[in-house]
Amino acid sequence: MAKNESIFRLENITRRFGALTALDNISFDAPRNEYISLLGPSGSGKTSLLRVVAGFEKPDTGRIHFMGRDITDLPAHKRGIGFVFQNFALFPHLTVFENIAFGLRNGTDDVTDAEINSRAQDMVELVGLEGLEDRVPDQISGGQKQRVALARTLIMQPKLVLLDEPLGALDANLRGRMQTELRQIRERLDVTFLHVTGSETESLAMGDTVAVLDRGRIIQSGTPEQIHDTPSSPDVALFLNRFNLFDGRLSAQSFQGPFGTVPVSYVCQNPKDVYAVRYDRTKAFRKGDALPGPALPARFLASEYLGSSIISFFETADHKQVEVDHHLSFGDPDDYNVGEEYILSWDPRHAIVFGSEVAA
Amino acid sequence: MSTGSPSTQRNTFTGWLLAPGVFWMILFLVAPIMMIVYVSFWTQTTFAINSTLTLDSWKNFFSSEAYVGALWTTLRLWLIVLALTFIIGYPAALFVGLLVKSKTVSTILLVLCVIPFWTSFLIRVLAWRPMLGKEGAINIILQKLGLIDSPIEVLLFSELSVIIGMTQIYVVFMVGPIAFMLGRIDRNIIEAARDLGAGFGRIFWKIIFPLSLPGVVVGAIFVSVMVLGEFATSGALSGRKVNLLGNIIVTQVGSLKWAMASVVGVILTILLGIVVAGFLRIVDLKNEL
Repeated sequence: MAKNESIFRLENITRRFGALTALDNISFDAPRNEYISLLGPSGSGKTSLLRVVAGFEKPDTGRIHFMGRDITDLPAHKRGIGFVFQNFALFPHLTVFENIAFGLRNGTDDVTDAEINSRAQDMVELVGLEGLEDRVPDQISGGQKQRVALARTLIMQPKLVLLDEPLGALDANLRGRMQTELRQIRERLDVTFLHVTGSETESLAMGDTVAVLDRGRIIQSGTPEQIHDTPSSPDVALFLNRFNLFDGRLSAQSFQGPFGTVPVSYVCQNPKDVYAVRYDRTKAFRKGDALPGPALPARFLASEYLGSSIISFFETADHKQVEVDHHLSFGDPDDYNVGEEYILSWDPRHAIVFGSEVAA
Repeated sequence: MSTGSPSTQRNTFTGWLLAPGVFWMILFLVAPIMMIVYVSFWTQTTFAINSTLTLDSWKNFFSSEAYVGALWTTLRLWLIVLALTFIIGYPAALFVGLLVKSKTVSTILLVLCVIPFWTSFLIRVLAWRPMLGKEGAINIILQKLGLIDSPIEVLLFSELSVIIGMTQIYVVFMVGPIAFMLGRIDRNIIEAARDLGAGFGRIFWKIIFPLSLPGVVVGAIFVSVMVLGEFATSGALSGRKVNLLGNIIVTQVGSLKWAMASVVGVILTILLGIVVAGFLRIVDLKNEL
């Protein structure tokens, strides 16, 4: 199946709840046979978007196309789109096996019992639930419930599966394992996953394509690398939780911020002037050290050990918190004294500057 | 383990916490039931009763057409009322517990259901008389509408009026528990079933009904316990034509026939035990509540 072929397309989708606009004129083209992750903070409209695509809710305006067909007016079960609920929504009184077989047994298609049983058994094996077929949802773990929810959807052979924060209900350890597993299961089938999440790490780790949603609008979409390295706006940079953002003033090829005035060669269009530099590009220096770029004096507050890296927190004179991410493969971290002042600096080529004025 | 170990001491202590309850139940439940069983074997003469043990009262009960008839009437009315409260109550509960989206509205509706309880039981029963009578509200309305020429007499002082009265009084005990169970169903489950292609009928029979079954069982137990022991509704609305086991106990006690009253009491207790145990076999309530 050709990649990059569109599987579903949203055209100017708007959905309002009273005065609140949950989805604001969204247009989005989703590539087929990929893992698409939709990143947005809570309240950004990501669940609404998913429910509109699934058919649980109707958009006020706009059309939805799925596999070349306009499905805007089709009810949920006729769309051929699977939905995995955040809390799994398993049928509590049915066994794992019957949960998985439910769609075939009770759906509109006529399927023989023998086929139902063999397809359900295939699904049990696909998601690795052998031996648990006769348990009820109360007797299995969170990760296993997640698999049942997925298998129950996949058995209907959808071309698109919507996952509403599927890992949100799992503990951190399990989340990592399920991330890999979701990707593997998807790759074995000809199916597109649209995964909604509030976690930037999850969205970057899992998506072939990442779309960032904010206040009912998709503000950027692209590969994880594109999103991560070149956020298109300060909002995206903020969600990624990997950038120190400084307000300031952009004027004729220089940016005036708390770190002084720096020359700027390239500017991303944005109504507000913001200077962004990634945590792992920001470095701390002692007074008197040679600096690679601008100098920002800051007090050391605390640090957090993350295993492969250490995040150090600094505070500038105007009480803004700045984070420095030191990857341990680059050598041992320096010891900083709490309360002492250091100079933060970075290579200005790594900074991203947003502003209303286009640099020459 | 020695008797003085802390864990044994704690067990003894927690055991004693049960004592007041156990004492209360023995005094007011177990002892009276034992007494009823005992008295049912006493010898009854016209004006007196003595504790000589005999099977006479039991033989009298089962050889009397009137008494055995009352047993069957009780069972028949119980089944009819149970079925009607379920048929009327379930859709109402479905509406209140599941179809109404707003929690506030569903609470208001449930409160509306219990408004009749703000007045006394007897008033509620007797209020049916001016409704169902020959010149009662229903007959007058039907006549005014020209639907009937002469009043329907079977409406009052018949088995029908007892059934109508009991159904109205007890249906709320069916609605409450079912609505409660329905309200606890995760709406996502229903959406998931719909997304998997199940139609409304399938969703109802495969998901909603099984999940509400504990509520149905609790409601059925409530209704059964109350209907089987009934005597007031049948007394007030049947014109003494319908005799339930409860009515027999009342008349026998009234004429100081303690032995026969006890026999009927024992039969009623056994009947209730069987019914409740039967319902509890349908659903394991321990897992549900």
